[in-house]
Formats: sequence, C-alpha cells, structure tokens
Amino acid sequence: MLKQIVDDIAATAGANEVAVGFYDWETATAWSLRGERWFHAASTIKVPVLLALVDAIAAGRFEWESWVHVRNRFASRVDAAPFRIPRERDADSVVHAEVGKLMRVRDLAERMIVASSNLATNLLLDLLGVRETRESIERLGLGGIDVARGVEDQRAFDGGLNNRVTADGLLALLRLLHEPRGFDAAAATQVVDVLGRQELTGALKLGLPEGVRARARVAHKTGEISTAAHDAGLVFLPDRKPFALVVLSEWPAGNGNRQAALGNVVAAIYRHLIESAEGAV
Amino acid sequence: MDDRRFPLRIVDGRRLSEEYRKALKPGALIVDEEGRARRLPRFFYEVDSWLTATELELAPNFNLHEFIQTDVREAPVLHGFPRYVPCALVLLAGALSIFRDRVGTLVHVAANGGYRSPAHGRSRAASTHCWGTAANVYQIGDELLDRPEVIEKYRQVAQQSLPHVYVRSYGHGPAFADDHLHLDLGYVTVVPRDAAGEEEWGPGEESS
Repeated sequence: MLKQIVDDIAATAGANEVAVGFYDWETATAWSLRGERWFHAASTIKVPVLLALVDAIAAGRFEWESWVHVRNRFASRVDAAPFRIPRERDADSVVHAEVGKLMRVRDLAERMIVASSNLATNLLLDLLGVRETRESIERLGLGGIDVARGVEDQRAFDGGLNNRVTADGLLALLRLLHEPRGFDAAAATQVVDVLGRQELTGALKLGLPEGVRARARVAHKTGEISTAAHDAGLVFLPDRKPFALVVLSEWPAGNGNRQAALGNVVAAIYRHLIESAEGAV
Repeated sequence: MDDRRFPLRIVDGRRLSEEYRKALKPGALIVDEEGRARRLPRFFYEVDSWLTATELELAPNFNLHEFIQTDVREAPVLHGFPRYVPCALVLLAGALSIFRDRVGTLVHVAANGGYRSPAHGRSRAASTHCWGTAANVYQIGDELLDRPEVIEKYRQVAQQSLPHVYVRSYGHGPAFADDHLHLDLGYVTVVPRDAAGEEEWGPGEESS
C-alpha cells in the first residue's frame, strides 16, 4: 500500500528512482523501500562526516575548540591535483569569508550542517582523513555509507569516485543517534542538536501538515545536486516518540517537481505513521 | 636617546624541556627537497602570552601575533604559552614592512603562514617557515591572492623591493604557490648579542 503510494508519487513527478526508509520509536516499526539501493549522497554525506568528527574528538585527536586554517585548496583523491570549492557553487559564504584565517572545529561543523557549507566539509574531511572517516563509520557498524572523497572533487567525479548512501545506511545512522549503542550519548545529542539547527528547508518539513510543522523539531540534512534530491532526519513531536525518516531520489536534470514530490512522500509516510499509531492504541 | 630594549627573553632551545625540544628541534639537522642538510635555529624568543604577541610590534605595521597563528596541526605544546619563535622572525617582519610600504596597503599573513615548528603537520622538507623566515601572504588590501595574475603582480613588486628575498612563482607543486604569495629569506638564523655562547656539537646532539 505505502509502496504503491510512493511509487505513484514518483512516477507522476517524473522521478527516476525514489527510496525511503523510516523507523518509528512510537510503534517500534521499521520499513524501507529500495533501502539497499545506492544513491549519490550529495550533501547528506555531511552527516557521516559529522559523526566521524565526533568520534575523532571522543578519541582525543582534537577538540571542538581546536583551530583550523581556512584554506580553499584541496588535493584530489584521484591524483592529488589541487582543486577549490567555487564560492558561487557553495550554499554558504560564511566560511569563504574566513579564508586565510582560523576557524574553530565547532564552527566549521555547524556551518557544514546548518548551511551545508562545502568548504567547511572539505576542511573537516581534510583534517579527519578519508581513510579515518571510513574507519569510524565501519567501527560504528554502519553499512550503506560510502565516504570516498571531498565535495567538488571533479577529477574524482569524472573517475566515478563518488560519495554514496543507501536509505538503510542513513536510517541506521539516525537510529544510532537516538539510541546511541556503542556511541557516546552526549556526543550523539550534540550531533542531533546541530542537525536541529538546520537552516535549509527540506522535504521532511515540507511534508508535515502545517499545524504539526510548527510544533515539530526536525533534526535533518538535505542533499541536492542536479540529478538527486534527498532529506534525512529525526522528527520530534511533542505528543509522541520521534521517528527517523530518509527519502532519497534520482531525477532527470532540470526537473522542477522534486521538492513537492518528496514532500508528498513525507506526507504519505506521516499519515501512515499516525494511522498506525492510532490503530495500535 | 632612546634606549628601549627588545622585550622578549632569549632562550637557548637546547635548554628547554623535552616536550618543547621535541617540537622545536633546536639546532637539529633536517634535509631539504634537494637533499641538502639544513640546521634549524637554536635560539628563540620566549612569548609569554597572546597579549604580548598582539602588542609587540616587530616592525612597522607588523606585530608578533600575525606570525604565530597556527592551527590544530601544530604541536600541542605550542598551542599555549610560553611559546617560542626563532629570533630571525624579526628580519622577516622587517622585510615585510618594506614590502608593505611598496604596496601601500595592508599585507595579511595567512594562518600557518608565519612561523611553524618542524612538528607542525604542514612542515615538510626543511620548510623555511621552521626558521621563522617565510611568510605566506593570502591577501593584500582587499585583494585575495588566489589568481595567477594577482600573485604574479605582487611577486614582481616583492622582487623589485626585496631583491634578496625568494618569492615563489604561481603554479602547482612544491616549488610554486597557487593561493598565496610565498616570500622567504632562506635558512637564516639569528644569534642575538645576549644569547649564550656557541659550543661544540656532540655526537647525536643535532637530533635533539
């Protein structure tokens, strides 16, 4: 039933593919559609990077207050050729304004998530190391997440080396944040708090009924490139336990229906969750 | 007559605690890109606080703190104070002051672009930053130095005003710079008059 609704929305809007995953702590139910299908991660990869950052801080590699040199110059994962983050292609200008100076790890992490700063992401990934980031994710038992390179590494992109996620992978990460098994609970709370300060509106908020949206706290991260639109996060409502929801999608370039369609998917899932919870009473 | 004395204490790096010696490697030999051995500075100025660094003018328009802004890649012992900088740093500040006069506007030294210890994660192959004799300038006035024509323009100004200073050309790779202007005086060490006397180097001492 839910599968059919999602597929109908996707087909009507012209999506190439839509994958969904949710876990509801109220009803203890999980569901996913094409949960193991890999997607280009777009900016959702910033959540695993944040998780690896928290893990590195817990391991004492550096601190939230540590300073990082803001330098817009990175080495490609393919051949170490230098590349930059074009300012005009970055959603955030705050970090670009600090080039040449120092910023704290805490502030870079904040910009990476709440404003989706590509420059902050690459600076943090450079600090962490791609290999170490992958090791953190593996150690936390998270499959379905493939951190392969920094953002805007065109040579890596041309070589087919991309950051990828599955709906099941991101869902497992979100579950880890809310029930932090093998992960420091205080650190998990910090990650959720940062996600909760998200400045970009995504499908998760759009899809909630208007009256609910005003009362909801949505800790999430969007991801948008020309051929992909995603949103993944935790939805906290005042009168029930939270749910985690991931919506990943692929589109023909230039499709203008993406956000509305993903909002409809979220709305359908929200109705399903509420009806399921009422039925369970 | 003005008889001001330079306010920073001179320290023989080889007399510092092991923690500092591991980071500063005073007097140690390290190898440059060409395989030539270079001896690191032995004498340092002691900087007791950030306030001192911000208030101390090394040369007109250049205060000490502009040369010691390093990030998380610096040795942990050098994140706090006291901190130590090679005595040759004053020569670098003097050279930059001449350059600043020629360009007629503010010259901004990048973070990690002044003195970096040999233990800093970005210090490689006898980087002159470890001698306190190199500066990475990332901005002049309002102009960011991230384009070939801008770097080349200021490289020419630097070479004309400071013919003894090495300035990297625009380009990629170790001997070039593509997002800043790199100026350096080479492997200069300074031994202030009040410094302790030289002594024979004993076997193995250079790797202190």
